[in-house]
Amino acid sequence: MKNNILLEVQDIQTFIGQFHILQGVNVQVPEGSIVALLGRNGAGKTTTLKSILGLTPPKEGKVVFSGTEIQGRRSYEIADMGIGYVPEHRAIFQDLSVLENLRIAEREKGDLEKKEELIFSLFPDLKRLIMLPGTNLSGGQQQMLAVARALVPDNELLLIDEPSEGLAPVLIEEMMDAIQQLSAETTVLLVEQNFIVASRLAENYVIIEEGHSAKSGKMADLINDQETIRRYLEAA
Amino acid sequence: MKPLLGSFRKNRTLWITLCALIIIFTLGARGLVDNEAVGGERYQDVVITILRGFSTGSIIFLVASGFSIIFGLMNVLNMAHGALFMIGAYVGWTVFVRPDTAVDALVPILLLAGGFFLIPLWDRLLNKLKMPSWLMKTWPWLGLILASVVLIFTLPKYPITSWDVGSYQISPTNYAFAASQGQLVTPEPKQFLGISPLLGLGGILLGGLLAGITVAGFVISRRPATAGTSEGKAFPWETLSLFLAIAILGLVIHYYNTPISNFLLGLDSTLLFILAILVAVGTGALIGILVETTMIRPLYETHIYVLMLTLGVQSIIIEIVRSAWGSPEFTMHRPSIFAGTGEGCPAESLGAILKNNCSTIRVLGGRVRTYNELFIPLLGIVVLVAVWLLLQRTRLGMIVRAGVQDSEMVEALGINVQKIFTTVFALGVGLAAMGGVIGAPSTGLTTTLGDSLLINMLVALAIGGLTSYPGSAAGALIVGLLQQFVIKYGQIGINIPFMEEPFKPTPPLVPALTVFLMVIILLVMPQGLFGRKE
Repeated sequence: MKNNILLEVQDIQTFIGQFHILQGVNVQVPEGSIVALLGRNGAGKTTTLKSILGLTPPKEGKVVFSGTEIQGRRSYEIADMGIGYVPEHRAIFQDLSVLENLRIAEREKGDLEKKEELIFSLFPDLKRLIMLPGTNLSGGQQQMLAVARALVPDNELLLIDEPSEGLAPVLIEEMMDAIQQLSAETTVLLVEQNFIVASRLAENYVIIEEGHSAKSGKMADLINDQETIRRYLEAA
Repeated sequence: MKPLLGSFRKNRTLWITLCALIIIFTLGARGLVDNEAVGGERYQDVVITILRGFSTGSIIFLVASGFSIIFGLMNVLNMAHGALFMIGAYVGWTVFVRPDTAVDALVPILLLAGGFFLIPLWDRLLNKLKMPSWLMKTWPWLGLILASVVLIFTLPKYPITSWDVGSYQISPTNYAFAASQGQLVTPEPKQFLGISPLLGLGGILLGGLLAGITVAGFVISRRPATAGTSEGKAFPWETLSLFLAIAILGLVIHYYNTPISNFLLGLDSTLLFILAILVAVGTGALIGILVETTMIRPLYETHIYVLMLTLGVQSIIIEIVRSAWGSPEFTMHRPSIFAGTGEGCPAESLGAILKNNCSTIRVLGGRVRTYNELFIPLLGIVVLVAVWLLLQRTRLGMIVRAGVQDSEMVEALGINVQKIFTTVFALGVGLAAMGGVIGAPSTGLTTTLGDSLLINMLVALAIGGLTSYPGSAAGALIVGLLQQFVIKYGQIGINIPFMEEPFKPTPPLVPALTVFLMVIILLVMPQGLFGRKE
């Protein structure tokens, strides 16, 4: 069934220190789809991803992942249930080689061997660079490695934060192709500032404005809704 | 050639500083050779001083490497590291000199520790009870009081043969030797003081159990209510069997105390030394696990508190050692393999050491002590390589290197970072404790042993770069060499033009000069020799 809800975020409230960052975010991610979190800088999109993973645990509200409540659990347990995370700013491990960056994501020995073919068909560059330390990679290569790393274990859901950030247009195309291809097998929750990228990839969207989810719906409707785009997405 | 040039260009300051250091030490060495005050063979002084520098450096490295990995991974400056080095020395000394006492002490420790291994089991069982929240918050306090009462009643009654400090100082020879000569009365069968053994042993075991339940209670009451329960997890059989194994081991050791003690007292001191190292490393690792899980873990977010906490732990450890061992200075003899003085000694060749177990070897006409000047540096190199392999070639090492950069991301990959933190902390403290035992035969034992080492270690790490593993080795070596050269010049003096008497640096000048070197290096390279530029 395509319309099973894989991830449901219900009214979460997250504090970072004393700051009340998320004040009621609701997100539904149907299985097999790509959902884009949209919104201006500092609206709370990244914090939403981190709250799902428990890196910034929500104080109130629920996060339900394939029927199980996961809020309050330790991050590694949540990730272990089948959630992959691609953080913003290409957070790969600089001191590790490309191979080690992939190996470290293995949950069981041999995970990488099973996914090798998929990863190298999506990002053929990585095969050539496999022994290089992460710090020697270009920005685009690092971003690809960060996505590839999330593909190593069998994840049901990928949380991808700003995959196109700071990439050259050619690489953005390549990255979009890759995400499109891998969405055939996994569900994706995507944070994306670049509306053109988001609108081409995602089927559904959720707009986050000042810490709460303001509007959600089908991407196809949003593209024609100039009023909403102007109100929530264009630079204020 | 090209990559070498490239690396030179990239790390210009590093290479220049290293060259400057080499020149300084060469000048220092030449100074020894040219010195008028030294008669006879002069090169031997240089060789011996360098070897001593390596020796001091190795001990500093054993402590510094663990400290630096812990800091890199967990952002914890563990100021108790020096005290843990010291406790390693004391535990090792006890096993080495009075194994019978160590066996005695092992019984209550095992019985107590057994209870703590059951915590996962209690956690599971208590989770099933649906208690009102006020009860959940209060009952652990009751458990704490109960456990304390039981332990206060039983623990001090446990008979531990204490060493007779007076007689030990009069004849600082080996207790094991004395025992084999019939000079030492081997331990009597153990009698509880005033209570029946069954009650005593049972009480300690019960105290450990109660303490374990209490800890589990505190853990649960602090857990956020939204947290998932442990449903679906397998019943923790392994914790139950671990508890039973440890408790039974404790009882067995209690009832076979005398034969075990006599067996250990009769062992060759080299074997006993190896045992001492193992026990000290194990004790260090256990203390590390205890400190990390109960004290440091709740405070991870606030680094300044952790710093103050570890300072507190340091004082507590020093006071515990003072009350358990008293405050005399102990000496520790070298294991028999490095103590031979008989025929064929000092050895003329490396092969002869192995044959005659000589304590010294002839090098360039001078005598080099095999333990201090050959064994310790060698061990330092072995540990250096072993830890390097662990970091570069194992999954744990890979996770540690990744965690140094971004432990949050490591957790997000599904890796239990807390477990890794605990493992690394235990490993680091274990290495420090090992340094304590290894260093004890040459430095002796005092309760302030750790303090000067802590300073040396911090200086070494500042020189090498705080979180860099090669940096900790290089820094330790530089500090070791510098100290030994200054000490050597303190003995023979430096000829300074226009001064009639040669200038002799006094011992207090040694730490001052180390710090001075650190200041100079930090002025040139603020991140240390091998540190990463921020």
